[in-house]
Amino acid sequence: MIRLEKVSYSYPDGTPALENINLAIKKGEFIGVTGKNGSGKSTLALQLSGLLKPQTGRVMIRGMDTRDSSKLPGIRKLVGVVFQNPETQFVGRTVEEDLAFGPENLCLPSVEIRKCVDMALAETELEKYRHRSPKTLSGGQGQCVALAGILAMRPECLIFDEVTSMLDPESGITVLETIKKLHKKGKTIVYITHNLEELHDADRILVMKNGKIRLEGDPESVFSDVSLQSLGLALPSLIELAENLKTHGVIIPWEKTSSPESFAEEICRLFLKT
Amino acid sequence: MPIILENVSFSYSRKTPLETPALRAINLRIEKGEFMGILGEKGAGKSTLTKLFNGLLKPETGTVRVDGLDPSSREAKRRIGMVFQQAADQLFCKTVYEEIAFGPLNFGYSKKETEERVYEAIEAVSLDRTALSRDPFSLSGGEMQRVALASALALRPDYLILDEPITGLDPAGKKEILETLKKVKEMGTAVITVTHNLKGFFPLLERIVLVREGRIVFQGSRESYLEKGCVPLPPIASMMKELRARGMQVNPVAFTVEDALEEILRVKSTFEKEDNEN
Repeated sequence: MIRLEKVSYSYPDGTPALENINLAIKKGEFIGVTGKNGSGKSTLALQLSGLLKPQTGRVMIRGMDTRDSSKLPGIRKLVGVVFQNPETQFVGRTVEEDLAFGPENLCLPSVEIRKCVDMALAETELEKYRHRSPKTLSGGQGQCVALAGILAMRPECLIFDEVTSMLDPESGITVLETIKKLHKKGKTIVYITHNLEELHDADRILVMKNGKIRLEGDPESVFSDVSLQSLGLALPSLIELAENLKTHGVIIPWEKTSSPESFAEEICRLFLKT
Repeated sequence: MPIILENVSFSYSRKTPLETPALRAINLRIEKGEFMGILGEKGAGKSTLTKLFNGLLKPETGTVRVDGLDPSSREAKRRIGMVFQQAADQLFCKTVYEEIAFGPLNFGYSKKETEERVYEAIEAVSLDRTALSRDPFSLSGGEMQRVALASALALRPDYLILDEPITGLDPAGKKEILETLKKVKEMGTAVITVTHNLKGFFPLLERIVLVREGRIVFQGSRESYLEKGCVPLPPIASMMKELRARGMQVNPVAFTVEDALEEILRVKSTFEKEDNEN
């Protein structure tokens, strides 16, 4: 779906942000991207969506080269990005108007725009807020509006750049659940975060440092990689506890480490032999 | 002398159709030198509460006193330092030095005294002195947050109030700020922080205030917070709570990986003993 070939990019002040990145993202994949502040994650998101163009190498989105500006409208329909702060992404006075902005810009007929908006409201369960001002919603709902605004353009691939980092944990979970649902329905997802807990169920994780991909693999192998700490990341506490228990002969299978409930259930099963 | 809030209530947009009550009947006492966490969901009233401490907001009813002073008095403002979530929003000078010196100069301290305080503050947040000549906006998120902290510390406050100080930082940046705050507390400044990040903050909190829908629904030690099974909990503590709910006799106060490991292994060995006896 998206292919990066030897992509490098430096910001105008000379700071290299991406160095020689090769990456292929398959249709329907859920890719987690993590790494320290300044490791190049957000630059990668901008490259994947054609918002930035590579200085060397090329980014191909379903065969369209992002350097070719005549292809940009096509790329915009395929890939959408949601950013960290929902409030900076609102454009409409009501949720409905906000969601219509994208499809309007794609010059769709109004019947079609209405369909897109209704579909996006349904997917994010925001129907009851359609006439509210997005600014009066809670952080989690606001972030869902930002997400719905992108969905209304019916992209195949969605990129999320630290969308839960400003939310309280409860709202963060709601937003992530909504994203996982979209993935199940076939959307390709690139999810950027510092919080490894959120990547437990990803198909593949990329760990970045200084503009390079330093570690790549399924969550289980990435979480158990000893170099993780030196890449500036912290293991989820439950994974750390499971690793510690393993050295004492208590084996908690990977899929049980995703939530406190499943973890506790497994311990009870092991000890009480029920 | 502490910060004392007595029967404080506050509403936004008072006497307009948009009036929204934010805090109701708040009674709270913050002692010098303690490390306190203000927890609660978004919109519970946590940030509003912190803005009452230093007179940024005035209570609708009730009183706020900072060491017996009116919180909007000059002296009270010196005693209370404030750091917000987005450090970038509170930085405005061309160099880190000017940024940290702004407070002391504004309070009329001499150039020499100010310089001393700038050096003291930059050291307290473990930034190198070479950073003083840099543009604060060229720094990383974690460094910017430490500059914001240093600016607050340069007034040698008795109380440091923080609103989500580690949000958006990577794990290394989070650790830096947490270690700095620990040091600040050890030097005698009370640290009061609003936070959602329990994994990072929980081990530092001596006292917890839980706010829900504008009211304080819990205040007390971390131990009693855990014993009462309050939420939110850090992941390990919620797993331990689940174990207890399923009938395991584990210590409710365990919340670190080490504590949990010890407790689980202890329970395991009692089960094994029972098995052997049967």
